[in-house]
Amino acid sequence: MAKKFDVVVVGSGPGGYVSAIRCAQLGLGVAVVEDDRPGGVCLNWGCIPTKALLCNAEVLNLVQHAGDFGIAVGEVRADYAQAVQRSRGVADRMAKGVEFLFRKNKVTLFPGTGTLKNPRTVEVKGAAGAETLEAARAVVLATGSKPRSLPGVSIDEKLVISSNGAVRNESRPASIIVIGAGAVGVEFADIYAAYGTQVTLLEALPRVLPIEDEDASTLITRLFGRRGITIKTGVKVSAVKPGGPGAIVETDGGRFEAQQVLMAVGRGARTDGIGLEAAGVQMERGYVKVSPTMETSAKGVYAIGDMAGAPLLAHKAMAEGVVAAEAIAGQHPRPIDYGNVPSCTYCRPQVASIGASEAKAKENGRGVMVGKFPFTASGKAVALGETDGFVKVVADKATGEILGVHIVGPEATEIIHEFAVGRTLEATLEEIMHTIHAHPTLSEAALEATLAALGQAIHI
Amino acid sequence: MSVSKVLMPKLSEAMETGKIIKWLKKEGDRIQAGDILAEVETDKADVEMEAFGGGVLRKILMPAGSTVPVGSLIGVIAEPDEDIAALTSGAPPAPAAAPAPAAAAATEMASRPAAVPPQPRREDPAARTPSPASGPTAPARVASAPAAAPAPAARPAAVVRPAAVASSPAPGDGGRLKASPLARKIAAQSGVDLQVIQGSGPGGRIVRRDVEAASSAPAARAVAPAVAPGVEFEERPLSQIRAIIAKRMPLSKAPVPHFYVSSEVAMDRGFTLREELNALEGQPKISFNDLVLRACALALLEHPGVNASFQGESIRVYHVAHIGIAVALEDGLITPVLRDVQAKSLGQIALEARDLAERARQRKLRAAEMSGATFSISNLGMFDVTEFSAIINPPEGAILAVGSVRKVPVVTADGLGVGRRMMLTLSCDHRVMDGAMGARFLQDVKRLLEEPLRLLV
Repeated sequence: MAKKFDVVVVGSGPGGYVSAIRCAQLGLGVAVVEDDRPGGVCLNWGCIPTKALLCNAEVLNLVQHAGDFGIAVGEVRADYAQAVQRSRGVADRMAKGVEFLFRKNKVTLFPGTGTLKNPRTVEVKGAAGAETLEAARAVVLATGSKPRSLPGVSIDEKLVISSNGAVRNESRPASIIVIGAGAVGVEFADIYAAYGTQVTLLEALPRVLPIEDEDASTLITRLFGRRGITIKTGVKVSAVKPGGPGAIVETDGGRFEAQQVLMAVGRGARTDGIGLEAAGVQMERGYVKVSPTMETSAKGVYAIGDMAGAPLLAHKAMAEGVVAAEAIAGQHPRPIDYGNVPSCTYCRPQVASIGASEAKAKENGRGVMVGKFPFTASGKAVALGETDGFVKVVADKATGEILGVHIVGPEATEIIHEFAVGRTLEATLEEIMHTIHAHPTLSEAALEATLAALGQAIHI
Repeated sequence: MSVSKVLMPKLSEAMETGKIIKWLKKEGDRIQAGDILAEVETDKADVEMEAFGGGVLRKILMPAGSTVPVGSLIGVIAEPDEDIAALTSGAPPAPAAAPAPAAAAATEMASRPAAVPPQPRREDPAARTPSPASGPTAPARVASAPAAAPAPAARPAAVVRPAAVASSPAPGDGGRLKASPLARKIAAQSGVDLQVIQGSGPGGRIVRRDVEAASSAPAARAVAPAVAPGVEFEERPLSQIRAIIAKRMPLSKAPVPHFYVSSEVAMDRGFTLREELNALEGQPKISFNDLVLRACALALLEHPGVNASFQGESIRVYHVAHIGIAVALEDGLITPVLRDVQAKSLGQIALEARDLAERARQRKLRAAEMSGATFSISNLGMFDVTEFSAIINPPEGAILAVGSVRKVPVVTADGLGVGRRMMLTLSCDHRVMDGAMGARFLQDVKRLLEEPLRLLV
């Protein structure tokens, strides 16, 4: 006997659970199908547990530098297994939080794998048997993504691990080769290096964090180099095989050896076996093709989050989840501005950006003005002892439109939102300039970079 | 000497932005008070902008071609050795500024860390308050103003001659315009009037894409392209004047309860008189409209109830006849005002009305010549229009629509003859007057025109 709901959401990652809750808030009866813990990769294996590990790395770094603050700590012993256990605890707590939110909003959770039989029917196969769910209004697909590998290299989670393995393994290798210097690769390089693993970071593109502004890449390269991380950019991996201390990575830029290899070359949509064909859902360049309200080519079937295309970010998935829910409820949600999604990397120092890089802005034919303010000139940053980094503002010369902002430094991922709000409101540099920023704060650097772009910086 | 600011003047009631057509002075030129600095295009006309203070035109902040909100800083006049950095770094303060601070306040400002200069606020120029200390040079500027005197430095450096601009409020101009800062800037730079744009943002807020869509539309005065075969229609962007008309006329027609009274006037004697007057050597040529103007002026003095304006709580009754004369332009309509018509001879009226009409067509009217009418006349006689009714131009209380003078069969004492007749239709604001008042006024106008010698005495 089929169970009937208004909306069936397949997947409970940040896209799925947000969409489910929003649907429930709008008065719809919602079922969620999840084949893992609620919260998806983000809460269980991605964003949240890595942030916990990165925090451990940061605490470790701080303790190691306690002497700089006149604090003697004696011998420092860092147990990586405990770091991973703490990280798992954080993930568990967050997953329970999602379960609580489901209960609070009367969203019914069906553990198991969901498969579309037709645009209105989802079959759930779980430990408790099979269920058939009928969606009167819509089905929301939110099955996320999975780590990709390179051709001919399989991820066995032993010799070659993905972020899924890295976040679970309670032991860390003595040496590791991280293939791919995007956010995931850079964050794990940071964690491992902090705990003493010899890290080699390989990137096929000419620089680390290749989607960020070149100034950010240059600074992270320099700071990582100072911490003993080996970085090779512009190298293409041709083979990964067992040998040496564990694995040998062959590239067009030489051979690298380490105990383990972390594959961080990106993620791909997770769409196998969810019945896209049965429902008539079309794909486009590896992702599910969607309309501005997240509806797929099959009427009443929506797709959100990683499976619906770049950028593969939890916050973008959440925003899409809301748009889909409101569209399903018959509202007219504002389409997402994909040009205004913050990009954040939580290494030390953090990297955050929004909008276009300086090079991209120029490439787009904009006359730009650029203002840059180093944290060395920020009183708050000096007091914190975290002076690496800068705020860089790229604006249109004629109008002061904020084209892009690039921050490397302490709490960069928090500071960026000032500019995200500004861009949403179509503020120009003048509005930022006329906004009094509290002193002393790290956000003052945002003001100063703005002033610098206008040629009026006070503190540099 | 203090530094004086050249601000975009408000040249008409409806004016919110002005376009600098060209600068007649260049940076470095010495300026005497009264010199013409620049030509400015408003929604209604091109106007010469006159320097208020003397000095050297140190900086032109808005180049020719820019459209800027009223009250925006567009240039700086100062002595060559004066530091104007605080002004030129983007700080147009209010035209109506507070008195200069006392010396103690100035000192306090000098000791403050330099702040950022204030930014012009589009919504309400008059309500802006001056921001103190706009940069390291600000204290010097403040100190140069005589302490405790009403600040001469804050006076606009440019005024329009003649300075008096009637200030009867234009209806519908009080609402705040919702537009993003970026949209405002792009609009100012591309000369797009935000008033005529429909916002697509939250709550109708005008955002960047709205302005870009408006500014990418073909230029208002562009030559009409040859129509391609098969094209059924084209979208023509509103010219600024058309946009103003579109905005203001519904504000008249809807809230102002119009009623109309019509009368036919025998113009035989008026025709003869005009022939005779125009045969006089060395005298200006008189038009029928000049006769109507004179007749209306005299009748308005007799019927102040028609020469009146609805003011909400009261009715303002005028004892002078400032008459607006509707002049057709290619892309719209403009109503220059002939002032004190009651005190002017037919010859004077003829000369001045012609001058106003010509300058209106060339967009060379001054601000004061476009506002302050107590009554208006619209004449479509030259288009062979027999009769029509006009829309009142608030806050005026009435407008007279004049048809052509035409030969018609008339019944005379002897039988049937040929006479010259003209239709007049008065549109009246019922809040100001009633039918009988309008009718009596029209009756008097008719009598004056039918006994035209009365126009000469």
